[in-house]
Amino acid sequence: MSVEVRNIVKQFGRFPALHGVSLKVESGELVALLGPSGSGKTTLLRVIAGLEFPDTNEGRVLFYGEDVTDMPVHKRRAGFAFQHYALFRHLDVFENIAFGLRIRPGRTRPREAEIRERVENLLKLIQLESLARRFPSQLSGGQRQRVALARALAIEPKVLLLDEPFGALDAKVRKELRHWLRKLHEEIHVTTLFVTHDQEEALEVADRVAILREGRIEQIGTPEGIYDHPATPFVYDFLGNVNAFAGRVHNGAVEIGETKIAVPETAGKGDTDAIAFVRPHDIHVTRRPDGPATLAARVVLCHTAGPLAHLELERLDNGGRFTVALSKEQLHQLAPKPGERMFVELRNVKIFPEDYSI
Amino acid sequence: MLRLRQRGVLPGFRLTLGYALLYLSLIVLIPLAATFARASALSPMQFWHDVTTPRVLAAFRLSFGAAFLAALVNLFFGLLVAWVLARYQFWSKRIMDALVDLPFALPTAVAGITLATLYAQNGWIGRWLAPFGIKVAYTQLGVFVALMFIGLPFVVRTVQPVLEDLDLEVEEAAASLGANRWQTFWRVILPTARPALLTGFALAFARGVGEYGSVIFISSNLPGKTEIVPLLIVTKLEQYDYAGATALAVVMLIASFALLLLINLLQWRSSRYYART
Amino acid sequence: MEPVAASNTARHVRRRSPTAESPFVRWLLIAGALLFLCLFLVVPLLAVFVQAFAKGPGFYFKTLTDPATVSAIKLTFITVGIAVPMNCVFGLAAAWAITKFDFPGKNVLTTLIDLPFSVSPVISGLVYVLVFGAQGWFGPWLIEHDIRIIFAVPGIVLATTFVTFPFVARELIPLMQAQGRADEEAARVLGSGGWQTFWRVTLPNIKWGLLYGVILCNARAMGEFGAVSVVSGHISGGTNALGTNTIPLHVQFLYDSYNQAGAFAVASVLTFLALVTIALKAWIERKETRLKL
Repeated sequence: MSVEVRNIVKQFGRFPALHGVSLKVESGELVALLGPSGSGKTTLLRVIAGLEFPDTNEGRVLFYGEDVTDMPVHKRRAGFAFQHYALFRHLDVFENIAFGLRIRPGRTRPREAEIRERVENLLKLIQLESLARRFPSQLSGGQRQRVALARALAIEPKVLLLDEPFGALDAKVRKELRHWLRKLHEEIHVTTLFVTHDQEEALEVADRVAILREGRIEQIGTPEGIYDHPATPFVYDFLGNVNAFAGRVHNGAVEIGETKIAVPETAGKGDTDAIAFVRPHDIHVTRRPDGPATLAARVVLCHTAGPLAHLELERLDNGGRFTVALSKEQLHQLAPKPGERMFVELRNVKIFPEDYSI
Repeated sequence: MLRLRQRGVLPGFRLTLGYALLYLSLIVLIPLAATFARASALSPMQFWHDVTTPRVLAAFRLSFGAAFLAALVNLFFGLLVAWVLARYQFWSKRIMDALVDLPFALPTAVAGITLATLYAQNGWIGRWLAPFGIKVAYTQLGVFVALMFIGLPFVVRTVQPVLEDLDLEVEEAAASLGANRWQTFWRVILPTARPALLTGFALAFARGVGEYGSVIFISSNLPGKTEIVPLLIVTKLEQYDYAGATALAVVMLIASFALLLLINLLQWRSSRYYART
Repeated sequence: MEPVAASNTARHVRRRSPTAESPFVRWLLIAGALLFLCLFLVVPLLAVFVQAFAKGPGFYFKTLTDPATVSAIKLTFITVGIAVPMNCVFGLAAAWAITKFDFPGKNVLTTLIDLPFSVSPVISGLVYVLVFGAQGWFGPWLIEHDIRIIFAVPGIVLATTFVTFPFVARELIPLMQAQGRADEEAARVLGSGGWQTFWRVTLPNIKWGLLYGVILCNARAMGEFGAVSVVSGHISGGTNALGTNTIPLHVQFLYDSYNQAGAFAVASVLTFLALVTIALKAWIERKETRLKL
């Protein structure tokens, strides 16, 4: 059973937001929609909620097999949390959370005692029992977002939709709430979709991540899956820093300068120019050519940032620059000097034969 | 003696404040002081007697009662007009939006004679009501209509900006929680507009209580029935009953000050409520 | 399970934005509001002009050129010519003092400025009668020196000044408050003198608010009825004397003399002025929003 969208096409005036996107989220899953601004992730979320509608008849939204495409938002029971909380300023925290329960029509509305019990349970869940009678203007950003989440959960939604929930918060609060959200999800197991442009957040919190770019899904997979096996250079670059090495594929190996690295996937394919992508921490630097470390490069500069160090090097064969990430310890052991010649080994190389520009 | 210390970097403090205070004293404070001085010359007994004769009480009932009702009804229509202007597009919207200020910009005497003529038995509007036995001109109903006319812009212009600034995401949130449009309006939008509505009501009420020009033409001005307090004051002046007129004026002034304070308080609380959090 | 699509475009009829009412409700509300506005605003507006010309254009112009009317117009212009500039200067001074400095009692001052707004116009006139009238504080002294204030032009000017004195200040204070002091302080640091700062820095910033305040002040001054009614002697002017009837009082005079068409003829001039005021307000507001964007 799942929450599914099929073939969603959406255009805002001249701006095409979604080009026929399809996605299936299994019951109880936590899926992140990750991508840069304008990639259509918020639009997709809003279409699922019912705050926007697909442009074409082929576009469908299904909640556990039921076609809700034509159903208005207030009937869908999709809990939505906004980036700027959208709390009801004239109601206190308790009433904000109770709102969805109080407006139910007579027959389905719970009794007052039951409403109170449910709201208090939610307050305990979000750890804000003492603030039940405060008003939103008296809360911090992190507290407000927790109230917004509790408010959405109060209606026992079929799916929980979070639009950049931590986007408006400080870095430290973001990290805390990120872990809190993961724990919450493990307790409650509501099918959840959340939108973010922060790849660290997506990789840390989600069961699966969908990367969107310009209105299309580039790749969907588990966090490890898409990080270790990115399908396109865009995904590769979006999920972390990347170094690009120009080289040539020949006989199942890629030649970068004097280095030859075996790349079995390319065996049997003809010779082409290629770009090899390597993560900064997958590069090993030594003074002497040692085994696989054969690419010659010159140190340009090095600097530290907190617990990490970055070393910028320039290839001796074609002048291409790349960055290596080291721990501070490794940097001290190496003690590189600007202008010095080093040899690098490239590990975990990913080849994209076509000429992509990132 | 209070010394005015130079405050701040900019020049002209003493000059501008001094001039402003001088002007204020001459034009406003001294005449007001005269009024209160005059009233205090009356013995409390005399004062009380002057403001509680049946004729005076009837005038108070009419002035305050009609102003209250008119402001109340204007709450409803004013909200309707403000909502429509803030949320919808339609033909003639720009003209209608500008016309809302007409009762505010139009001289009260012009409003007075126009309303009197319109609602008379043979007037453009009066003739439609006559078959139903509804008389507007020369009755208390006429006073009510006139006060509704002049109070309308106060409600609309206070509520309109609040409705225009409503956060659509909050409405979307309510909808996502299961509220239909009416529930969203009643439970979310209306409470948000409540401070502005209260302020608008107070402004319209304050204006209506002291209104003179718009009312005296449409009212028959019969003592004890359709006589408003301002007219009673003028009548007493014409009869050289300065004491009586002053006593009434003082009561009205106290009511005005109280309303002014209330309005300022409401506006201050509103600005806190609507402050971006 | 899914219907085969007949066309590629979605069925918008069943799908409504979550923050929009049904078209039926929307049209109902618009119709209701328009009906109310037409009845309450448009009909009276039309009535003024129709009644003004009820006896034909000849009568209309005859009324407007009648010596009594001309005299009333003259008196109104004199009154406005004194009251508005004085209130303008006051407004600028008060706004400057209040917004560019901090001092105790600032709130009291602001509230006092709002006073004439909440006072009945009749009382605004009464207070001057109590000071300058025959039985007022200065009454005997004035009679002795044969100076007439009440029931004469000076009284009318004073009463009008009282009633309209908040307008310019009320426009300027929030405007200058929002603009802050940074511009003026920067000018001072660069060596600008007091008046220079005001002319070159402040005035250009507030020119639209000032214009609007003056327009409102003027409209109210020309149309003031209650306060002037109390201090005036209701004496119609003629070819030789100015009289003590302003235009609104003259309207009342004509109306009470059962000269309805005449009353509306003169009223139509004031109504036209009101329309100009409204139009200018709308224009200035649009200019200001465009400047802000």
